[in-house]
Amino acid sequence: MMFEYVLILSVYLFSIGIYGLITSRNMVRALMCLDLILNSVNINLVTFSDLFDSRQLKGDIFSIFVIAIAAAEAAIGLAIVSSIYRNRKSTRINQSNLLNN
Amino acid sequence: MDLLGPIHDILVIFLGSVLILGGLGVVLLTNLIYSAFSLGCVLFCISLFYISSNSYFVAAAQLLIYVGAINVLIIFAVMFINHSEYSNDSHLWIIGDGVTSVVCTSIFFSLITTIPDTSWYGIIWTTRSNQIIEQDLISNVQQIGIHLSTNFYLPFELISIILLISLIGAITMARQ
Repeated sequence: MMFEYVLILSVYLFSIGIYGLITSRNMVRALMCLDLILNSVNINLVTFSDLFDSRQLKGDIFSIFVIAIAAAEAAIGLAIVSSIYRNRKSTRINQSNLLNN
Repeated sequence: MDLLGPIHDILVIFLGSVLILGGLGVVLLTNLIYSAFSLGCVLFCISLFYISSNSYFVAAAQLLIYVGAINVLIIFAVMFINHSEYSNDSHLWIIGDGVTSVVCTSIFFSLITTIPDTSWYGIIWTTRSNQIIEQDLISNVQQIGIHLSTNFYLPFELISIILLISLIGAITMARQ
């Protein structure tokens, strides 16, 4: 069955996104893995919308909302990363302790 | 897109293998710019998946927003932040990586064993019986537009306000 194959691919993207999000040392790579997670959710939404709801297509609309939120998240995240880099001269994820001292 | 059966299968399997390799490349490549380009490849393949599952509008939005905007933004950020120091991983990091890989593979296999156990055909039959009544000849893009302007009007406006506020915040954070 083809849609189960697509679901397995989305599970793969989700788990590898979580792995990269937790273990990455760089903040930009963490943002990339967050994009992978949101994309796996989008794949699920579009697949189920095509399969179960092919007249109404509400899953497509939710995936468009998720894409818009991901755009806002990437803009804010990269602005924060560049601001931290300007202060600390580093983007390692364990050196951003500006609130600490 | 309703292609022939074997062509569709071959296309989906090819896209899946590219997607698996690209997902590994995003996480495991050491150079960050290669990882960003690998992310672009993964997003492009996902948009081709959307085309093969009959949702052209989401495929175009994915291609424009993810590949055209977010990926270019990430590549610009990687080029702007030229990091070079990449050393002294302590012993705790390695243990944490191992524990995280174990947890993620357990999540992966538990979800994979859940997917074939679910009876998808029962759900398909119960939803198909309702859809015969509301059969109409509107295309998918028109359907999405009608939903966005009637049922989902308030979330649409809220999304536009969130985008405006977040972009203003990003500009004020990045320009000081």
